[in-house]
Amino acid sequence: MNHSARWSNVLLSPDRTESYLDYARGWEKRIGSFLELSPPVPASPPRGDLAGIPFAVKDNIAVEGFNLTCGSKMLAGLKSPYTATAVRRLQEAGALVVGKTNLDEFGMGSSTDTSALARTSNPWDTSLVAGGSSGGSAAAVAAGIVPFALGSDTGGSIRQPAAFCGIYGLKPTYGAVSRYGLVAYASSLEGIGVVAESVGFARRVFEVIRGIDPLDHSSVEYLPSGQTPPRPRLGVVRGLAGLSGEIERAYRRAADLARGLGMEVSEVDLKTFDYVVPAYYTIATAEASANLARFNGIRYGLRPEGTENPEQLVKGARNRGFGDEVKLRILLGTYVLRSGFQDRYYVRAQKIRTAIRNDLQALFGAVDLLLLPVFPTAAFKHGEAGLTPFQQKLADRFTVTANLAGIPALSFPMGSEAGAPLGLQLLAPAFEEERLFRAAESFAEAVPLEHPPGYSEEWRS
Amino acid sequence: MELKELYVTASLAQLDLSDEEAETLSALVGQMVEYFSTMREIDVENLEPTTHALLKTNRVREDAVVESAAADTLVGNAPESEGRFIVIPNVL
Amino acid sequence: MYQAFVGLEIHVQLLTKSKVFCGCRAAFGDEPNTNVCPVCMGYPGVLPTLNRQAIVQAYLVARALDCELSESAVFERKNYFYPDLPKNYQISQLGSPVGRNGRVDLDLGGSRRRVPIREVHLEEDAGKMIHAGDVSLLDYNRAGTPLLEIVTEPVLERGEEAELFLQYFRRMVRYLGVCDGNMEEGSLRCDANVSVNRPGKGLGSKVEIKNMNSSRFVKKALAFEIARQSGLLDRGAPVAQETRLWNENRDLTEAMRSKEEADDYRYFPEPDLPPFKPDAAFLLDVEKGLVELPSARRERLVAEYGLGPDQVDFIIDEKSRADFFERTVALGADPLAAASWLGSDVKRLLNREGVELAESPLTPERLAGLLVLLASGRIHGKIAKQVLEVLFAEGKDPETIIRERAWEQLIDAGAIAKLVDEAIDANEKAAAQIRAGDEKPVGFLVGEIMKATSGRAEPQLVRSVLKERLAKSR
Ligand SMILES: [Mg+2]
Ligand SMILES: [Zn+2]
Repeated sequence: MNHSARWSNVLLSPDRTESYLDYARGWEKRIGSFLELSPPVPASPPRGDLAGIPFAVKDNIAVEGFNLTCGSKMLAGLKSPYTATAVRRLQEAGALVVGKTNLDEFGMGSSTDTSALARTSNPWDTSLVAGGSSGGSAAAVAAGIVPFALGSDTGGSIRQPAAFCGIYGLKPTYGAVSRYGLVAYASSLEGIGVVAESVGFARRVFEVIRGIDPLDHSSVEYLPSGQTPPRPRLGVVRGLAGLSGEIERAYRRAADLARGLGMEVSEVDLKTFDYVVPAYYTIATAEASANLARFNGIRYGLRPEGTENPEQLVKGARNRGFGDEVKLRILLGTYVLRSGFQDRYYVRAQKIRTAIRNDLQALFGAVDLLLLPVFPTAAFKHGEAGLTPFQQKLADRFTVTANLAGIPALSFPMGSEAGAPLGLQLLAPAFEEERLFRAAESFAEAVPLEHPPGYSEEWRS
Repeated sequence: MELKELYVTASLAQLDLSDEEAETLSALVGQMVEYFSTMREIDVENLEPTTHALLKTNRVREDAVVESAAADTLVGNAPESEGRFIVIPNVL
Repeated sequence: MYQAFVGLEIHVQLLTKSKVFCGCRAAFGDEPNTNVCPVCMGYPGVLPTLNRQAIVQAYLVARALDCELSESAVFERKNYFYPDLPKNYQISQLGSPVGRNGRVDLDLGGSRRRVPIREVHLEEDAGKMIHAGDVSLLDYNRAGTPLLEIVTEPVLERGEEAELFLQYFRRMVRYLGVCDGNMEEGSLRCDANVSVNRPGKGLGSKVEIKNMNSSRFVKKALAFEIARQSGLLDRGAPVAQETRLWNENRDLTEAMRSKEEADDYRYFPEPDLPPFKPDAAFLLDVEKGLVELPSARRERLVAEYGLGPDQVDFIIDEKSRADFFERTVALGADPLAAASWLGSDVKRLLNREGVELAESPLTPERLAGLLVLLASGRIHGKIAKQVLEVLFAEGKDPETIIRERAWEQLIDAGAIAKLVDEAIDANEKAAAQIRAGDEKPVGFLVGEIMKATSGRAEPQLVRSVLKERLAKSR
């Protein structure tokens, strides 16, 4: 395919690699999307479906020979002793890892600003965040450094930065892509997915990385229905409150566009909508409190000097290794699991999750696809001028539903306003990713992809 | 959230909180816990909890030994080791 | 007087090739940290994968204990920090373990009793921490090896009963081939909870006892603990709810340093592993592993072969021994003879050589061959013992041994008559005495003939031919 042909030889000769690195480093000074950038020198031309195509990997996904820091002081300097299944499959298809991208510490955030190791900015406007937690991956793709990158999506962490950076972001069906090698934050909610410059890349990468994995017993056989309605019924949600003007306009524009594209648009209600965020954060932090317990400074990672006993060592490592947001979530998760509180919070959240799944199941009887905003606003500003951590959590209300239900969702660009890109997302039943790709391709024909200022393809010629 | 509850929770999570940290975190944790309390409003009477979203089938692997190639690397990654042992301090 | 309630928590190291959630070798005694991988070292990003053999063995034990088998066994995370626990949570089971509500019926010091089994669950073991001066050394080879935990209801009343139960249980898991049952090496570990109260008052406050690494220590520790708690109650003193350790050097239990806060393990379902739902094929595999258990086998061996109580206890103690015995009998050996040989001469030789029956040169075929030779009179008892010695030394069949050494008993009347005549010629005086009606020298002459044949001649035949010869010539 020609969209991949444009990329397939950039790392195959020294002078091309040189101009590639010049371009990438030029961007990196401004956006800081990579924690580690070291393009390989292929001994022989790679073979396979994605031969020679460079890609980036979020630094909470293991690639042997690269660091695996999760944006945390706790793991700074840790080299991964193994490779994630999704990465291995891409490498077997000929694609080349060029580096590891920045993220919110352990994936906990919506801005990439909670990274303890680097600061990432939005390629469209460096005063804006790139979104998160896969902000580094999204920024690198939007800047044109790589055509696609792997990210992880626990509650919107692929779709939201993709929307903030004006590219595509796929959160696949739960279990469709092996989680082996993805550093766990909230195991029952998250998965590896892809941010990409085109639907074509998103689809091809997904085809390569999906499928059951003997190393992940929560991975599943990929069994789509094989039916993609030519004129899909699209659900739009009635009375969404709290949207910024530009997002509200984009949402209405997309609904109108869908009608124009021949889709059957109808208004739907989400009965459980008000409870998705508390249920999500209860489950996510509970699982996180256990998943992050392994970081204790004993077997690897940060170890404080001069401690006298194991408890001092472990507490010292955790106090210094974890940032504030991580500590907050660990405390929350520990609390909701404590005896006496578990039924009130954790178990109740899991029941609400069932209600959400039931809600969606009913909904997908009436529509084939659901259209939602990704985030109530376009990319916000770094620091105080942006959103508080609590406001950011409340703003996850459009993205976490797909994670709670385990269904696929794709965020796609919907133009820009005032120099910031806008993105919306489509949701489909489990295993119906192809419906998402088809619909996004229809939208793409009507809404041409925009690039940030400074984006160029000239360096390739 | 009461500081006492925060300290009990922190101890279970092996986090030592400075007074200052405890102050800030008790407010933030409290804010979230209060927000979580809105989950009371929804009726979940006859619903089973969803613990495994889409997992329906058994998964097992055969009982076969896979020689670990990484053992030396793993020992080498430990901040402190002695021979093949990983070492931690223990003053009684 | 007081009533004691003792419940046991037994941890069994399962005999699988690989660990329960990764492919590392489940072996002991190797160089530290050699059987480790990113999974069992708790590296970021790795996931557990369930070993089928471990879950088969778990269901097998639950089945053998007459448990209700779970239709959906759920793994959960048990959260606590400890340096030898790589993930700082243990994958275990709580809400829906492999088996529940089982029972064991056994003889507890003369009376037949039922010990209800509360549950059987599968979990992973932790690593090992060795204290060495001002440091601790960590070895994660054991981390992630499969462990089965069995919890009894608190119905045992004395240390002896706990010991008997444990011996029974050990024999059972060895029969099932799921554990080697070695308490000293920790492949079978037992903790107990003990409470004492006035009869009819229900359970008292519960004390956990740990560090009892032999069934004898279990007996002694529980006897001590029951006496200790009774003594406290006598004085009207409260029994503290605590964990105590058995000190084998001082023969007493000691309070462990108590923690400031109670444990709160915050169990929740392990999201990385789907619940295990046994299907028909799996349950068939479990049934295939379900061998006849020691108590049933004991009853059957008594009924079928008429073995005495001590004999049968010895035979059934090891499954391999009972199998050996039955195979020997099936090959034509007399059951009582087989049992008594196994319990005496064979046992003596095995001890002397320091080998297990299964690894020794003796096979059921060889033992049956020997016993059939003996029963048919082709060799007699003393020769049989010699044959067994040679068999152990040279690893040959009894037939071959007696042929090579010409040890077969002389039972040919003609040959014996010739020997008798030679003896009469060589001992004129003795012969004359017998002819004169004095029976005394008969024994002497028989002995001379036996000596001349190195004991091969059949003594009864020699005696009768001798008498006949000396009577005729009168
Ligand atoms: Mg246990
Ligand atoms: Zn391992």
